[in-house]
Amino acid sequence: MEVVFPSPQQIMRRAMLHHKGFLMGLSVIIVVTLLTILAPVLATHDPYAQDLGQRLIPPVWQEKGTWDHPLGTDNLGRDYLSRLIYGSRVSLLIGLSVMLIAGLIGTTLGLLAGYFGGKMDMFVSFLVTVRLALPAVLVAVAVVSLIGGSTRIVILVLGLLVWDRFAVVVRASTQQIRPLEYVAAAKSAGCSTFRILAQEMLPNLMNNLIVVATLEVARAILLEAALSFLGMGVQPPTPSWGLMISEGKEFMLFYPYLITIPGVALFLLLLGFNLLGDGIRDVTAPEGR
Amino acid sequence: MRISKHLVLISALALLVSFTAYPAAAGKKDDTLNIALEKELETLDWYFNTAREGIVLSQHAYDFLIYRDPVTFEHKPLLATSWKWLSNTVLELELRQDVVFHNGAKFSADDVVYILNYASNPDSKVKYWTYVNWIKEVKKIDDYKVQIITHKPFPPAIEFLSCAMPIYPKDYYSQVGSKGFGVKPIGTGPYKVVQVEPGKKIVLEAFDKYFAGSPKGKPAIKRIVWRTISEVNTKAAELMTGGLDWCWLIPPDQAAKLAQVPNLTVVAGETMRVGFLYMDAANVSKDAFKDNPFTKIKVRQAMNYAIDAATMSKTLAGGQSKPVDSVCFPTQFGCTGDVTKYSYDPVKAKQLLTEAGYPNGFEVDFYVYRDRPYAEAIVGSLANVGIKAKLVQLQYSAMREKFQGGKVQLAFWTWGSNSINDISAIIDYWFMHTNDDIARDPKVLELLTAASSEMDVEKRKALYKEALQIIASQAYTVPLFTWVTNYCFSSELGFTPNSDETPRFFLAKWK
Repeated sequence: MEVVFPSPQQIMRRAMLHHKGFLMGLSVIIVVTLLTILAPVLATHDPYAQDLGQRLIPPVWQEKGTWDHPLGTDNLGRDYLSRLIYGSRVSLLIGLSVMLIAGLIGTTLGLLAGYFGGKMDMFVSFLVTVRLALPAVLVAVAVVSLIGGSTRIVILVLGLLVWDRFAVVVRASTQQIRPLEYVAAAKSAGCSTFRILAQEMLPNLMNNLIVVATLEVARAILLEAALSFLGMGVQPPTPSWGLMISEGKEFMLFYPYLITIPGVALFLLLLGFNLLGDGIRDVTAPEGR
Repeated sequence: MRISKHLVLISALALLVSFTAYPAAAGKKDDTLNIALEKELETLDWYFNTAREGIVLSQHAYDFLIYRDPVTFEHKPLLATSWKWLSNTVLELELRQDVVFHNGAKFSADDVVYILNYASNPDSKVKYWTYVNWIKEVKKIDDYKVQIITHKPFPPAIEFLSCAMPIYPKDYYSQVGSKGFGVKPIGTGPYKVVQVEPGKKIVLEAFDKYFAGSPKGKPAIKRIVWRTISEVNTKAAELMTGGLDWCWLIPPDQAAKLAQVPNLTVVAGETMRVGFLYMDAANVSKDAFKDNPFTKIKVRQAMNYAIDAATMSKTLAGGQSKPVDSVCFPTQFGCTGDVTKYSYDPVKAKQLLTEAGYPNGFEVDFYVYRDRPYAEAIVGSLANVGIKAKLVQLQYSAMREKFQGGKVQLAFWTWGSNSINDISAIIDYWFMHTNDDIARDPKVLELLTAASSEMDVEKRKALYKEALQIIASQAYTVPLFTWVTNYCFSSELGFTPNSDETPRFFLAKWK
């Protein structure tokens, strides 16, 4: 009689397959990613093509809707489905790039603070406190209104603003790992500080980092939408979900689909990232095994 | 299942509460007309505010010397009972003797002399400078007779006196100044201003001592509560719930929907307003920007070719809106469409941009203060030829200040000419080398100066035509189309819109 113990990978795979939130989040994100990649194939119309003769056609499920424009057209006669599909590119581009910039800053600061402690820790904690004292939206609005909005600026401004969670989480985890034996072993083997940080600490922080990263992507996407809604983010006529909501605002009362469609899309994408983040946390946490 | 029932009940209740909690401002019952206009008035002093709202207010709270019938456009006596030209430059006016101001002061020649001399003095820095600068001096002949001396012969003088230059009480105005007057104005008009809450509302009440025999007539509605609402959904919602009895500037899409609501009447009205894009050809913004593509005529022509004003007029503005080729309203004296025409041709636009050295277009801040959907359509059309116009929406007063300060390269303006049916009311304001002129063409100035004092009708027309032809061939502007405004009001209200874009509530009554 042979007893087969499942390997850690097998346990994790099983946990993933049984975690409903994780699966839902993952599928939403896969779908959106596919939309982004296949946008030129999937979009039936040019998202920038104005056709003032085809304005405000309602979505297909409403009276007078046509399959030619499944989600209808906007105030300038642009196909709403195509704009929505291309808009996912803007959302994901901004979400991921902001996460990368913020992750780089936050992780570096967190690692340094957690590993060296002392004055370095005090300095980083000070930076984090200063950052937390500044409301992200307010600072972003101020900066963007000073230097003007564009996709690049939004990515930079948000990236430089939302690194705080990375720093806090990485710092705390690094402090936990630092006294462990394998770190001491690496030190006594004569490894350089950089090697210890990059090769010993970082891989063991990955689980936490991934969770924070998914949440930060969601936060960045929401901030982008808010800025674009205020007219300070992505500039028209670029299709962005926040901008679509802003442009539909004037028609909200009688043509609510102009607001609800990008609103629901935004809601689903954020829900997807949040579920994925929670799912990863659950399946990787030791107590979950 | 149970939960959803509860939810429905709770939301229904919440809805009910929100409706009953709403301050029911019933119109007809308490004889109060609730109206909403678009822009916030910085001051109620007509001379220091060029917003349409100021013109509407001036019709109610003040009187001009002459009344222009809103239907026939005929000039009728108002504060002046009669007028005649003694010479080409001297206009003598007899004044009415039975008029009192809202504060009880008696109206006389002193008031007319005071305010007109004050406004036509450059030191007063009135905002409507080109509307008053033709006056050289106003002389008192006796208590009820004045003479207006003009610098040069000024053919449209009577038209200007009937649409501009309200008369204020001398003693009060000289005491409180424009600043004090702007928040607590006093005039002779059919309505007196009883309350001004900046940013909130203005309350007007019918003036019981308004002089009999005024062509404006005695007002039938006792109170007018005037609020500022620019957001169209709020307007529509308030109209539907009875919070508003009257509103205008409803975009055509929303107007079509509101027309289906019982108890609401929707009327489309023509206006004298025309819209245009103004480009900084004179490079007045040179201190603010490194590069100014609009100094190149090919770029300005490309802008004209890139924008499909005809389709915008038909689909976005709708109704009686017509595309224009010159920056003026077709019925205005001197206005002509016999100028260089630029029909929609994006290919040609791209080609011109390439020739001008911008094969990949350029980036520019695009300033807008109203009609954002039109602006978005323009941004889309410009993007189509490679010009990245970044939409900057500002309040009217803020945008005007920036524009006059030489910080704007591309602006989307509209002008209602104060409803004056003469081209000088628009062309002089924008092209006579004032702060609002970013074309600054010397030849145009010369022609307009000559035209403004030319007494011969045909010669004057020819001068304006030549000026318009230069403006068009130089492509200083992108003329768009004429504006329509959709009025929407309670079916209990008897109201007739006039083509001069000035609602007159003293002529309105409850049905």
